[in-house]
Amino acid sequence: MQRKIIHIDCDCFYAAVEMRDDPTLRHRPIAVGGDPGRRGVISTCNYEARQYGVRSAMASAYARRLCPQLIILPHRISYYREVSLQIMRILQQYTDRIEPLSLDEAFLDVTGQTHFQGSATRMAEAIRKQVRSQVGITVSAGVAPNKFLAKIASEWNKPDGLFVIRPDDVERFVPALPVEKLHGVGKVTAERLHRLGIHTCADIRAMDHFRFVEKVGSFGEYLYRLAHGQDERPVEARDERKSLSVEHTYERDLPDLDSCLRQIPALQDRLQQRLQRSQKDGVIKKAFVKIKFADFTSTTMECCVGEPSLPVYQSLCDEAFQRKGMSVRLLGVGVRFAERIHAPVTQYAFDFA
Amino acid sequence: MNFSIEREKLLKPLQQVVGVVERRQTLPVLSNVLMVVDGDTLALTGTDLEVELVARIGLEQSFSHAEITVPAKKLLDICKSLPEESQIQFILEDQKLLIKAGRSKFSLATLPANEFPNLEDAVGQVSFSMNQGYLKSVIDRTAFAMAQQDVRFYLNGMLFEVSTNLLRTVATDGHRLALCKAQIQCEVEKPFQSIVPRKGVLELAKLFSDVDADISIALSGNHIRVESADLRFTSKLIDGKFPDYERVLPKQGDKNVLADKTEMRQCFSRVAILSNEKYRGVRLRLESGNLTTVANNPEQEEAEESINVDYQGGELEIGFNVNYLLDVLNVIRSDTVKLQLADSNSSALVTDAEDDSASYVVMPMRL
Repeated sequence: MQRKIIHIDCDCFYAAVEMRDDPTLRHRPIAVGGDPGRRGVISTCNYEARQYGVRSAMASAYARRLCPQLIILPHRISYYREVSLQIMRILQQYTDRIEPLSLDEAFLDVTGQTHFQGSATRMAEAIRKQVRSQVGITVSAGVAPNKFLAKIASEWNKPDGLFVIRPDDVERFVPALPVEKLHGVGKVTAERLHRLGIHTCADIRAMDHFRFVEKVGSFGEYLYRLAHGQDERPVEARDERKSLSVEHTYERDLPDLDSCLRQIPALQDRLQQRLQRSQKDGVIKKAFVKIKFADFTSTTMECCVGEPSLPVYQSLCDEAFQRKGMSVRLLGVGVRFAERIHAPVTQYAFDFA
Repeated sequence: MNFSIEREKLLKPLQQVVGVVERRQTLPVLSNVLMVVDGDTLALTGTDLEVELVARIGLEQSFSHAEITVPAKKLLDICKSLPEESQIQFILEDQKLLIKAGRSKFSLATLPANEFPNLEDAVGQVSFSMNQGYLKSVIDRTAFAMAQQDVRFYLNGMLFEVSTNLLRTVATDGHRLALCKAQIQCEVEKPFQSIVPRKGVLELAKLFSDVDADISIALSGNHIRVESADLRFTSKLIDGKFPDYERVLPKQGDKNVLADKTEMRQCFSRVAILSNEKYRGVRLRLESGNLTTVANNPEQEEAEESINVDYQGGELEIGFNVNYLLDVLNVIRSDTVKLQLADSNSSALVTDAEDDSASYVVMPMRL
């Protein structure tokens, strides 16, 4: 059956929320992120800031150098979460098959939904309108027969845009896409493909299936299908959490083990709060401590434990610290959950050989 | 070109021909239909380079020879939209095809007929004829097991195997296999195998279903050609070796179960509701006179149902993809289905208890 997938993506979400609450910020370059004096990084910036080359994940200090008048606002994560929840509630009016990717992004499977005679395009328009009027920020939407194309579509007319890839458009649309647009193709894979002379989906499509999979490896099979506009990944509402952690980057490096150990109780406290809020994540299997040293190398120490306690984290922290014994930039504590028991299912196949 | 024809005589063959023309074509001429007038016959041809369909329509009178290609979908839409019993006139003028009926006039773009590809004329190495409905039934009873977009490209179709007086159709996706036999009149020295691609198979069952008419089938190394009085369908074959299906037909099954087909199908479809959406696994527990089917899903929900069956033997528990079983039950015609099982790790042979012309093999699942 032909699926109808909508990808909803808020336009510079954190920055948009800040501009909504303080309209004087509009039309000025702003960003939400850490303090440049304290090695903060940019989380989100508005389109005005992007014109100066400011990007998310960029060091705030560098962003300020690119755009001296950049206004950098501190995070208000719990507040953004509330706004996000408000948006998700709007999405739920259209379908219950929603896969949130982050606070500001979600896939919706609206196949078989009856609003607007089942028109996914009109549902996407209605969602955009409703978010604008009820939440006060703009979202972009992409409508397509699968997840990968829906995500590309939402970027197409960003910001505040809608783009629809109808099943009939897929064949025309996909060949021209650069391979970087394919789900799962990062820098490394892209470079590998380029070395093979592959730059667009048309290049992949021109290749023999077997040869392509042979050259690219196991991931090739998936890419080959994407390049033909095929992506059967379902919109999955339930996403099992594998781990939960909290971490903090300190304003000044923690110089020694003692100063690290003193931070552990506060971190563990935050972890406990998070754990209480999400009780359904299952059985805890392991506890871990993460350390990022002043030279930016990271290490993680973990041990099997059912109920992590303060002494457990302290001793993990001790062991982790000894690995380098230098001052510490970032500390994190967390737990890993046991995988839920799924009986291993095997479909037997014929032995034709 | 200048001829006329009644709308009703044109419509159905045109629809059939347009059916094989792909909407999105790389080559513009492939979204066109070729029209050839020769004496008192109009021939319409559509192709996607894999399959080709020619429909012949008798005209009221003789017209001089002419040929041209026009956009298939538009031609069909025009003819469909004209009033019933319209007399439609076609005139080729300045590389446009004029279509006139009553007070309507259309002018369609054309491409020359010599640009229209035709599948090479194949010399039939094996040929025979059979009833259309009979062919459709052997296809319908096996087609569901064909693979779809499998990397083992030779599974994305149906094996037609001709031996003396016997046609076998076989389809498998590697997890289940369907095999059906049909009696034909044909002499061959040794069995002749052809793999007809999926699209060709489905077109065949759609195009030829008239139980009162025969068709002739010709197989060559590269093509299958099926011809009735007014249609000629050609499909390329898959160039590959079909797996040795005899190898996977189970022989050692000693646990024989007879069950009411409808009861079993209803039981499976109810239990299937709570099976894992991805794997569709169900557990079959067999004991004397009774079959219990159980399904669980990741949400820890459970469905269970028992039915009476004719079975004497030891207890056995075996898992299956319930869809594979339902697919078979849907094509079994009599009221009783027969299952032959050996153990939990061996395939099941499923047959119609009153008709041994079709056999189905389903591999189990470990749940």
